[in-house]
Amino acid sequence: MISSILGVVTLVYLVAGLFFVGSALWHSDRLDRAARFLLGCGLAAHLGAFLGRWAEAYQLASRHFAPQALSQTLRLVILHVPLSNFFESLVFFSLGLPALGLVFFRRQLQGFLGALAALFASLILAYASLAVDSGIKPLMPALKSNWLLVHVLTAFLGYAAFALAFGAALLYLWQGRATAVPSGPMAAAAGAREMDRLIYRAVVLGFIFLTLGILTGAVWAEQAWGRYWSWDPKETWSLITWFIYAGLLHARLVKGWAGRRIAWLAVLGFLAVLFTYFGVSFLLPGLHSYLT
Amino acid sequence: MSGSSRPISFIGSSVSKPLFNLSSRLWGSLTSIRLTLLLLLVLVLMAVLGTLVPQGEPLPNYLARFGPRWGLFIWRVGLTRLYESPWLLLPMGVLALNLSACVLRGLPRAIQRVSRPFSWEAARNLPERGRFYLAARQDPEALVSRVLRQELGRPEQITLEGRQVAFLLERGRFRPLGPYLIHLSLLLILIGGLVGKLWGLEGRLWLAEGETARAFLLPDNREQPLDFAVRLDKFQVNYYEQGIPAEFRADLTILRNGTEVSKAVCRVNEPVTVGGLTFYQSSYGTQPDGPVKFRVCQGQDCHAMEVPVRQSVTLPDGQAQIMVVRVDGNLQGLGPAVQVAVKSGPEHPRIFWVSQNHPELADRGGSPFFQPGPHRFQAEAIPFKFYSVFQVRRDPGVWWVYSGFLLFLPGFFLAFLVPAQRWAVVLQPTTEGFWEGRLLGASPRAREAFAAKTARLLTRLNEGDNGLTLRKPA
Repeated sequence: MISSILGVVTLVYLVAGLFFVGSALWHSDRLDRAARFLLGCGLAAHLGAFLGRWAEAYQLASRHFAPQALSQTLRLVILHVPLSNFFESLVFFSLGLPALGLVFFRRQLQGFLGALAALFASLILAYASLAVDSGIKPLMPALKSNWLLVHVLTAFLGYAAFALAFGAALLYLWQGRATAVPSGPMAAAAGAREMDRLIYRAVVLGFIFLTLGILTGAVWAEQAWGRYWSWDPKETWSLITWFIYAGLLHARLVKGWAGRRIAWLAVLGFLAVLFTYFGVSFLLPGLHSYLT
Repeated sequence: MSGSSRPISFIGSSVSKPLFNLSSRLWGSLTSIRLTLLLLLVLVLMAVLGTLVPQGEPLPNYLARFGPRWGLFIWRVGLTRLYESPWLLLPMGVLALNLSACVLRGLPRAIQRVSRPFSWEAARNLPERGRFYLAARQDPEALVSRVLRQELGRPEQITLEGRQVAFLLERGRFRPLGPYLIHLSLLLILIGGLVGKLWGLEGRLWLAEGETARAFLLPDNREQPLDFAVRLDKFQVNYYEQGIPAEFRADLTILRNGTEVSKAVCRVNEPVTVGGLTFYQSSYGTQPDGPVKFRVCQGQDCHAMEVPVRQSVTLPDGQAQIMVVRVDGNLQGLGPAVQVAVKSGPEHPRIFWVSQNHPELADRGGSPFFQPGPHRFQAEAIPFKFYSVFQVRRDPGVWWVYSGFLLFLPGFFLAFLVPAQRWAVVLQPTTEGFWEGRLLGASPRAREAFAAKTARLLTRLNEGDNGLTLRKPA
């Protein structure tokens, strides 16, 4: 049931992305509205699937350990948020993209940026459904903590915001190359300025979320292993990512960098995000490895 | 643009005047953004290096991995313990200096700026954003005050000379403090790390079931005495049906002077704190507690035999030898099991597990319990004890670190989420009997939102009380 909903959501995002491309190519407001509507519908279904899986995980867990009091029920609900393995993290990551886009960047999420967000979400979801084990596994002792929810939530919202900044940076760099823009040089310049601002705003949002993700992770690590920081590869790479974006913010706010240089930094930052997410999980052994 | 829209720089740009002495030159480079960016770059490179070179392994591993020359080089220069070496600690220390210098330089100015109330002197220099006109019969002060209150917040009203009235309003007044709070919180975290390094204590404690410990082991293998005793009463691994561990649980008793003081359950994610030390369940294992009793059958011919752990014993029929390699107290949730190696003649030894509670698994091909024959082993008794390994820690730096974490929140809120905006509306009666209003304002960091607000304010103010837009008298 849930996997077929996710399959439909993948298709809806794909179609929404194509509509966004169409709206950019033909300057069609109608296509743009249709794309937004589709993206919103897809997001709603996606959220439904996420909550459905949460309910399913809770059902399975309560079969093993039936909660007696309300506090136990609550704890069991918090523990079984579907963010405990690679598949679930991919599903949430692809949920975060259109969600952040529609909530925080409602006005800018159109045209090619909307297309990038929708197609990227569709791609991740397709990868999750086709190539990753989607079984609900019982929770390992190490993950049994109230910090799981807020730690993974903030970290992945941060990733999603950085992905949006990355998309905007790509468009900025691409617009800089494409000299003959159909709507004239003024419109292109305005669009570039818009993208430049969007990169900054998305990076700020991502930076706040990433910081919260690292901090909650540190508190959790202190509680689980007795160390708030142990230079585990995931920790180290999230710090590398944090340093890159901190550098970007300082370059912009203090040195006044803008435009291409900031766009390239946003690209570099997102490469670090990708390595933190995928590279560390599969290449470097550690506490966060998804292969265990 | 104007006095108030000056970019708020908390880390200064490079000093352009020629520098006369070393200390001001040093101060200049210590507070420069270039240094910050350089340090961030160095730290990124070091951290990347730290994840590429495996950390904390013994020398032979590096020799095997990187060759004798490079392996030894990496070992000598300390890249194998990068996170405790000057490679990382030095740039980290300079970053701390850089942070402190910037806070010292900019924070007093920011405090001064924040503590100065938004006055007419500052407001009159704000750039003008638009004008509006109100008919004389309206009460212009009430209207402006109401619109501002609904759109922005309560304005301060002051009367100026020549029947002029000004309304002042400031949002995000404390924004300039935001960056400093963030940098102070980073300093707190670094201080916490240092405090933990200097005055913290960290070690390990091995305890078998039934054992009592009065000391634990420090990383350099010295014993650190406890001022109490701790006993492991019981250790359990509980499994889900699928054979996946659900819980590692250690039941502890704390004793002082030989009498039981308290009992505690230590689990992963649920540490136990006693006398300022915190115990974290970190690992466990099974320790054999005597020879394993087997029943060995070949066809109908069965014998009982005892096999001490890690000793080769010849079977009663003399055809093969058996050795118990490992004892597990609860293998995959199926209860006690032993791993044995059985060798007959010149063959390679065959290695498999023997379960005490599930002898039927011996027939299941492909499982780790499968017994190829010709002998059939049944474990009658597997004497064992669990042992548990605890991480023992006292870290007085944690509270510094946590207060740094908490300080991040207001820091982020102020720095990124409340853009500084200053507004002023000046009302003046014209000779024609109209009221002329001027809207002044600036918001250096959020021009987009500011422009939208400006447009909205002007529309509402122009509409006046009755929605009638007056035109500027010709």
